[in-house]
Amino acid sequence: MRISLLGALMGAAMAWAGSAAAQTGTIVIGYELPLSGDSSHYGEVFRNAADIKLQEFKDAGGMPGANIVLRYEDSKNDPKEARNIAQLFVDDKSIVGVLGDFSSTASMAAAEIYAKAGMPQLSQTASHPDFVKISKWQFRNITTQSYEGPFNAGWMHEMGVSKAAVVAIQNDWGLSCASNFADAFKAKGGTVTSIEYFNPGTRDFRSILTKIARAAPQAMYLCMFYEEGASFLQQRQELGVAAQVYGASSLFEDQLIKLAGPAANGLFLSSNFMPANPDPNVQKFVGEYKAKYGVVPNQFAAQAYDAMGIMLVALQKAGPKVTRDSLRDALAQTKDYPGVTGATTFDPVTREPQKSVVRMTISNGEYMVTQ
Amino acid sequence: MLDVYLAQQIVNGLSIGLVYALMAIGFTLIFGVLNVVNFAHGEVYMIGAFAGLMLITAAAPPLLAVVVIVLTVGAATGVGLERLAFKPFRRFRDEASLRSRAMREATLLSSLAVSIVTREAMRQIFGSSMQTIPQGYLLQHPIRIGVLSITDGDLIIFASSVVMLVALQFLLFRTRTGLSIRAVANSPLGAQFVGIDTDRAIMATFAIGSMLGATAGILVGLYTGTITPQMGFAPGIKAFVAMVMGGLSSIPGAVICALFLGVAESITTEFLASGWQDLVAYAFLIATLVFFPQGLFGVGRERA
Repeated sequence: MRISLLGALMGAAMAWAGSAAAQTGTIVIGYELPLSGDSSHYGEVFRNAADIKLQEFKDAGGMPGANIVLRYEDSKNDPKEARNIAQLFVDDKSIVGVLGDFSSTASMAAAEIYAKAGMPQLSQTASHPDFVKISKWQFRNITTQSYEGPFNAGWMHEMGVSKAAVVAIQNDWGLSCASNFADAFKAKGGTVTSIEYFNPGTRDFRSILTKIARAAPQAMYLCMFYEEGASFLQQRQELGVAAQVYGASSLFEDQLIKLAGPAANGLFLSSNFMPANPDPNVQKFVGEYKAKYGVVPNQFAAQAYDAMGIMLVALQKAGPKVTRDSLRDALAQTKDYPGVTGATTFDPVTREPQKSVVRMTISNGEYMVTQ
Repeated sequence: MLDVYLAQQIVNGLSIGLVYALMAIGFTLIFGVLNVVNFAHGEVYMIGAFAGLMLITAAAPPLLAVVVIVLTVGAATGVGLERLAFKPFRRFRDEASLRSRAMREATLLSSLAVSIVTREAMRQIFGSSMQTIPQGYLLQHPIRIGVLSITDGDLIIFASSVVMLVALQFLLFRTRTGLSIRAVANSPLGAQFVGIDTDRAIMATFAIGSMLGATAGILVGLYTGTITPQMGFAPGIKAFVAMVMGGLSSIPGAVICALFLGVAESITTEFLASGWQDLVAYAFLIATLVFFPQGLFGVGRERA
């Protein structure tokens, strides 16, 4: 209680300082992201990447007549917190646009407030199909499950898989990941033996694996993140389940290989971002990130980096006298943004991003591009 | 009906249950003495895992040496925890305070506070993602018994549970320290009247309980491959449920209920879905409380 009161006071003070600064040309972008709690490692990566992009932008001359500032708020990936922060950002007149939140669940909770108040919101990761349908104010820099699911279903079909099981995390994202894949896979004539949902935080998948083994599918499709993925792959090896494993792009993370060890070999997945991509934009980003934080950036970092970049281009387009309305319109016109996650265009009607995807597999403990 | 897959599910369930049981042993010991829940037990478990992992990364000693050092770390953590969260509430020695429920139950919150602060501090230091464990130490090597599959970790955890149970029974019923612990558990006031150093007995209980907790942490961490600051939370709750179902102060009862919970979870996954696991586990808890208010193995102890 004390802390939230203190937070509110600080927020009010910052809002006051912000509105005073607005006259001298400060543009504030709010960023709501998990900086504590179970998902804090994602939030930290977003902050790192956004800081790098903003610094790059300033080093390249920045925006004449305005100083762009990022204001981070910790949502803990909790929908309730996300809504509180959304209200805080909306009330702060100096904020013209918002990045975040992390999960579809938190992003969608906040989106209702942004939609009502007319605040452009660009999430780097919210991939639930309904997110951008909330209002014209929502944008995202991630291809959705309605794009990725059918892509992976088609890939498996090409590889001769006709019988598959789906294992998915029980949240908004997991549900849409599983259903988009399953629908597309069935449409190609395949059979889905079952969709097994597990609660977030589950690390023991042996019961699910045993249940799947009974139905003997040729492959399993994983809608989960790398930590669950690592446990899943290890336990699959323990139990000796023979089915091949395909996964959503959310599994693409070096840490998956470190955690799962040899059990990770043979996993198939697709992704927009690959650090080994020789593209100069990618290499510049990877180099800077590595120099500053000591690790190779993952897909989440790349998405936040591009989200920040898209936001900056839109701000430039809207000019130093930017408003929430003009920023929204500028975001909607995003076309062929040369990002590290592929050239990005927002569809003029649906506002869905369009990007290129690469197919990968893990072999000998490394991600390799495959056909 | 009983085919190989169902048999494998029961094996899976028993190995989940063993994890809960390993944690429930130390948890129940502390409850039995103090009559109050130690919410920080999950953090002792987590600290045991981190201490073990740091040792493994730094010096790569054999597993047995890791366990011995983690036992020491656990004892130290337990003593520190007792000083920090429990002792301050025993500073009044008059009979009214000793009998006061409020004084005793205040430690519920102080241990919860220690648990939250420790967990968040560890997150600040190590981050909340899963720690990388050297592959050679993972207790995940498959062992096939006919058509069934278990791992070396299952065997090690089973053996540890048995050793812990036997050692604990020996300690409680064959040593002077055990005698004083049982005396304090029976009646703290009475124990004081006959000249037992209750502070010492309580400290010993925490040291022993936390040794067991910390060892459980590193073994389960290596077994599941999951070492994170929040790793103690979920098994802590299940261990608590097992303890309540088992009758609060019966250690063998808690172990049996922990195994039962584990099997209930895997059977639920087989016939319903993984998402129903917790619901089924807690439904058993409620059913136990309704039909057996003393727990399944409780002796109906008089409570002040």
